[in-house]
Amino acid sequence: MYKASAVFIGILIAIMVTFNGILSSYTNQYVSILIIHIVGLIALIIVFMLKKEKFKIPKNIPFYFFSAGLIGVFIVFLNNLCFNSIGASLTLSLGIFGQLVLACFIDHYGLFGLKIYRFKKKKIIGFFIVFLGLVTMIIY
Amino acid sequence: MLYIILAIICGCITIISMIVNSHLAKKIGVLQGTLVNYVMGLLGTTILIVIVNNSVNISFGNYTTIPLWAFLGGLIGILVVSGSNIVIPKIPTIYTTLLIFIGQLSTGILIDYFRMGFISKGKIIGGSLILLGLIYNSNVDKKELII
Repeated sequence: MYKASAVFIGILIAIMVTFNGILSSYTNQYVSILIIHIVGLIALIIVFMLKKEKFKIPKNIPFYFFSAGLIGVFIVFLNNLCFNSIGASLTLSLGIFGQLVLACFIDHYGLFGLKIYRFKKKKIIGFFIVFLGLVTMIIY
Repeated sequence: MLYIILAIICGCITIISMIVNSHLAKKIGVLQGTLVNYVMGLLGTTILIVIVNNSVNISFGNYTTIPLWAFLGGLIGILVVSGSNIVIPKIPTIYTTLLIFIGQLSTGILIDYFRMGFISKGKIIGGSLILLGLIYNSNVDKKELII
């Protein structure tokens, strides 16, 4: 059941990228990102009200914790840009490839204070197949 | 070619934001973490707009042609975040990327079909190869976990 929900989340992500991309083609990059964040914020405030949760931030949180939102802006920016020029499936597939490669790198060196998981050479085969798939998608 | 590299970079920074977010969520909770994200994002965008062009042309006249659903991306983003928080802890990590990607890819191909009017064979063959590679790698991880 939860596995089906994970697939459903993937579907939602694809729809989100599409909606955002189309919005940016109607307006422009900056205005669309502004609208996306405002709509998201309103939705979030509604969730807060429904759950009757109160907002409080504990003190002494490292500043870099707040950077995720800024990174998010660039993610939306790049997604919109790529969606409008190379389409949904290629944008999403290339994104997954970038995620996989960097995730392996981070795991191998245990960056960001995460546990070290050494890279297994066998996985190069999998990466090669993924890469082959990407090339096929790009060429045809 | 430029967009291909940009899309890969986009995936890379997605991972970084996911890691920072998980740290943030541990400290102040998922919902509050997301709120902080959106507020920071809004702030960042505003600053970006001010830097890029001093006078942003926000004319509301031509906005009426935009279909209403196109505005819902931000709302779906919230659904994705809250859905992920419920679902991801309950399935083995090695399957998470795989399962989410299955949803992304099939929907992505469908969306491209609706926009372009045809499905290219390359997208389906390429997509299947990517899935194959992902499955292979998650099996490598699985074996390692059992031992």
